Amino acid sequence: MTSDTPAKRRLRVFSRGRKAPSRARRRFGAAVRMLAALALAGGIYTAFAPGAFAEDNRQLSAAALEGKQLFDNSCISCHGRDAQGVDDKGPSLIGVGAASVEFQVGTGRMPMVRQEAQAEQKKPQFDETQTKQLAQYIQELGGGPQIPQGELVENLESNPEALARGGELFRVNCTSCHGFGGGGGALSSGKFAPALHDATPEQIYAAMLTGPQNMPVFGDNQLTPDEKREIITYITLQLQQDRDPGGLFNLGRYGPSTEGVAVFLVGITLLVFTALWIAGKS
Amino acid sequence: MTTVHHDTEPAQPVDVHDPKMTRFDIVKEGLRRDEIEIITYESQFQGRDSKAEKRVVRNIALLFMLSGLAALVFLAAYIWWPWRFELGETMSDFYTPILGISLGVSLFALGFAILAWAKKLLPHEVSIQARHDGASPSDEQLITGQTALFVGDELAGGVQRRPLLKGAIGLAAAPLGIVAAAPLIGGLIENPHKGSPPPLFSTGFNPVHNNGQPVRLAREDGTPIRPEDISTGGQATVFPGIPHGATNEFADSPTLLIHLRADDAEETRRNAEADRRNAGSMYGDYVAYSKICTHAGCPASLYEQQTNRLLCPCHQSQFLITRNAQPVFGPASRRLPMLPLGVDDEGYFVAKSDFKDTVGPDFWERP
Amino acid sequence: MKRRKVDLAQAPVAVARGTDERFQAATPLRALLNKVFPDHWSFLLGEIALFSFIVLLLTGVFLTLFFDPSMKEVAYDGPYSALRGTEMSAAYESSLRLSFEVRGGLFMRQMHHWAALLFMASIVVHMARIFFTGAYRKPREINWVIGIILFLLGFFAGFTGYSLPDDGLSGTGLRIASAIMLSFPIIGTWLSAAVFGGEFPGHLIIGRFYIAHVLLIPGGLLALISIHLALVFKQKHTQWPGPMRTNTNVVGERMFPRYALKQGGFFMACFGTIALLAGLFQINPIWLFGPYRASEVSSASQPDWYVMFMDGLVRLMPNWQIYIGNYSIPPLFWPAGVGLGVIFTLPLLWPWLESRKSGDKRIHNLLERPRDNPERVGIGAMAFTFFLVATISGANDVIADKFHISLNAMTWAGRIGLIVGPPLMYWVAVRICLGLQQHDREVLAHGVETGIIRRLPNGQFVEVHQPLGPVDDHGHPEPLEYGGWVVPKKMNRVGALAPAIKGFFFPVEKPAEAPVSPGMPPVSGKDREEIGSGR
Repeated sequence: MTSDTPAKRRLRVFSRGRKAPSRARRRFGAAVRMLAALALAGGIYTAFAPGAFAEDNRQLSAAALEGKQLFDNSCISCHGRDAQGVDDKGPSLIGVGAASVEFQVGTGRMPMVRQEAQAEQKKPQFDETQTKQLAQYIQELGGGPQIPQGELVENLESNPEALARGGELFRVNCTSCHGFGGGGGALSSGKFAPALHDATPEQIYAAMLTGPQNMPVFGDNQLTPDEKREIITYITLQLQQDRDPGGLFNLGRYGPSTEGVAVFLVGITLLVFTALWIAGKS
Repeated sequence: MTTVHHDTEPAQPVDVHDPKMTRFDIVKEGLRRDEIEIITYESQFQGRDSKAEKRVVRNIALLFMLSGLAALVFLAAYIWWPWRFELGETMSDFYTPILGISLGVSLFALGFAILAWAKKLLPHEVSIQARHDGASPSDEQLITGQTALFVGDELAGGVQRRPLLKGAIGLAAAPLGIVAAAPLIGGLIENPHKGSPPPLFSTGFNPVHNNGQPVRLAREDGTPIRPEDISTGGQATVFPGIPHGATNEFADSPTLLIHLRADDAEETRRNAEADRRNAGSMYGDYVAYSKICTHAGCPASLYEQQTNRLLCPCHQSQFLITRNAQPVFGPASRRLPMLPLGVDDEGYFVAKSDFKDTVGPDFWERP
Repeated sequence: MKRRKVDLAQAPVAVARGTDERFQAATPLRALLNKVFPDHWSFLLGEIALFSFIVLLLTGVFLTLFFDPSMKEVAYDGPYSALRGTEMSAAYESSLRLSFEVRGGLFMRQMHHWAALLFMASIVVHMARIFFTGAYRKPREINWVIGIILFLLGFFAGFTGYSLPDDGLSGTGLRIASAIMLSFPIIGTWLSAAVFGGEFPGHLIIGRFYIAHVLLIPGGLLALISIHLALVFKQKHTQWPGPMRTNTNVVGERMFPRYALKQGGFFMACFGTIALLAGLFQINPIWLFGPYRASEVSSASQPDWYVMFMDGLVRLMPNWQIYIGNYSIPPLFWPAGVGLGVIFTLPLLWPWLESRKSGDKRIHNLLERPRDNPERVGIGAMAFTFFLVATISGANDVIADKFHISLNAMTWAGRIGLIVGPPLMYWVAVRICLGLQQHDREVLAHGVETGIIRRLPNGQFVEVHQPLGPVDDHGHPEPLEYGGWVVPKKMNRVGALAPAIKGFFFPVEKPAEAPVSPGMPPVSGKDREEIGSGR
């Protein structure tokens, strides 16, 4: 059951590097192999001591069982058996809820490649069904917040005020880190708030609900589901889908810093070349 | 086109009324009077109507026409293009770009047409003009200096001789000078320390604003907030729950209410209790700090829930929540004030008193 | 009454005569028409500032027709749906209205903003040209001082303009401005209270900034720009050293017809550039920022680029608070109060500092090539490195975020760079200048490298050099004096190719014929011969 894990993991670790693995990488690889061996030993132990877990498995739905399978393959080394957590490696996932899994796994942040300041968004390793199965497993394991069913973006035809209210809430709660234009921003010591340009409504909802990484949690008592939907409406309709009316390029909406670069790179450069042409010999 | 070449002979004055003089001769006389010597003034083309000249003329004409065409595009777009803002990807989003590009192209083409005309069609020219700098002739200096001294003598010396005048002028000038400055200074001066409570040292959480009762913490829409409204690891911006509490009238009042995780709260409480002013200010696992950065007054509201740091986005000061919000990085030198939290009978958060530290950017006379 | 026939052909003559009878305009007008201007690309950099200023006046007047400088709270009810119903100041509401409900209003607003950025950028570039060529030397010190004050006025014009829309970003800027005023020892709180009419933000600041932005500061700018230009006219423009050019003449083109036409064309090019920028690039999308609220802020909150150096210095300042009894001086005071003062005062005094040190009190109408004064270039490199590091640090959070660098590392890099960078760049600049000087002297002594390798009878290979001046009996070039001119480094420059390649960075009046060195007679087309291998 765990026999292919080390190979897969190693492949994943090394496929990112362009050069031959460094010493640190080799050591890391060794650690991974060690872990895999331990996990294998654990797996063998499980096979010979089926007692307690067999009962748990009975309560899991079919989807959750699939999820457990995936969890035991890819997540168990850091989050521990039954998502109880491993000290200094990964937190317990009891009670984090399906929303958290869908966000972390759906955006590719989990599984993490290595321990670093902040898990980076990357290509998801699991497809949508697998993510749902994993989420289902964690949900059934310990409960926790879930993304509600139904449309997460308000319909402006029937609720035209949602956009402005969402904007107001966005500026109160979100812009300090993600920026007025949703372009993201730096946090302390290499951490950052990601850009919201390609965040899906589900991801935004899950992030607010669960507070991934260093993001604060915005529980349903603080921002009601309606308010969350309004914020999502503002982000998707105003920040993601609306074309900027002020020009062909919006300079990333990063504010005066890119505008200052543009005035030198385009304005001054264009005019200096014109001046060179004017004064050059004909 | 007239071709001139450098002649070594200095030009002599001529009679410009002489009917034999050509126009260019008269121009040259003017140049002589302005101490200008034309070294080269010659057509850039060999012969009239040369092929090269025709090409240049064609290009310039083309540029002029391009300019006119782009201007027409500008006008047409200005009048007929849908320009009212609409949400989403619409035609109106291209209104400003079309105006900018058409006007830019039009002006650029016009500019280059004029430049090409000046550069390529007009005769090539090198002229030399003499310059005269330095001081005026010494006799001129002397005359002006003596005149100035003479005037000075007449006025100042006259006053010297007539002491009464001296006193009178002094008496008139001093008050009048102050009168000139008085309205400006007097009108602008505001005592920053007036008012009770003194605005520099109090916020909307001062019970004065609530008839002496503790002020509730409220959301931006004025609704009060309960402990269970903030999830663990969550934070909310709260305002004094008084009329206009969330407006800029109380620009120093915005506060960050944080629900810490149990172990972080433990550490925060330990540090707060050890501090004279922050002792007893936490409520359970909740802590509230002023959102106004002690450095330059921006809202220091980038809360990192895992590292328990607050970052100010303006100048990157970082405050450690668990350690009484002491600054740990950046230019801020003073910790964020902590709001003494309590809960009233109805279960809503209140400020037990105003902030005990001075809120907002630092100043000279802060105690 | 008998009606006299009007002779249309004679009308201009009559008007001209009538004008002259009243104003004696003939002589000054002729002097103006005939005035000679030197021609060089770098002399046009200041023009960009002038033309941007004209665009600023034109677009600014348009904007005042729609802007309402009031801080009264109103609820927005316009076409921009994401703010409908939001409470905001009338200033912000009218800014939104002129962006979305005035035909072409957004375009005008963007033109105004881009013109402001270009105005300040060209001032800095122009100032660099003046500095590195020594154009500020006697008799032009006062014009240099006026230029610095123009930058300072532009700085304040820009900041007040940035604040007027009262959006979320500019309000944050105002808050910092108030904090800077508060940080001044002793008078701080009084100063802030006087400017804001009480506690921040109050209800007056937009109105006060408005009158400063549309009347007081532009008035000062207009007056100083007029004096600036009048002094250039009166003192005549400096020129590069070169053939026929001396300290007591001006070599160039007469104002009319050619020079003025070029100016007109360049104005159109500047205007066009600003229009293109305004159409291509969105600037300051205030509708995304929302109205100013003291509790709201965005990551990447920055001032416009010309204020960024100050913001950067504030970011880099360590948190040193000085306590004096019961009083204290906050760290903000040093970069924003003292720093700004020093950054503007030192350049103001520079022309006199330099002449005092060098003891040079002569009048200079000829520019100095930067390489000929390595010390000045070094000091300029120091100043600009300082400015650049400070400006980059003003955007260090955006850089940290977009290039995945730690924010704290960026701050430390800025702190170290601010101290280490300038001296390092001083050394680099001086070395480069000395190297270029050396190269010039080598070419003058040995001639231009031809790229032709000759093999000597003993088997040795040598490169053939084309002497720039006369040669002695042995065929060795006689050493030439360096005259502060451009020394040709390539055979093309001395007419080895026919036709010669056009001048690009340095205009050559007549490359094939211009004397390339003081001691060399002009080379005409017919006695130019191909450089052979010498055999």
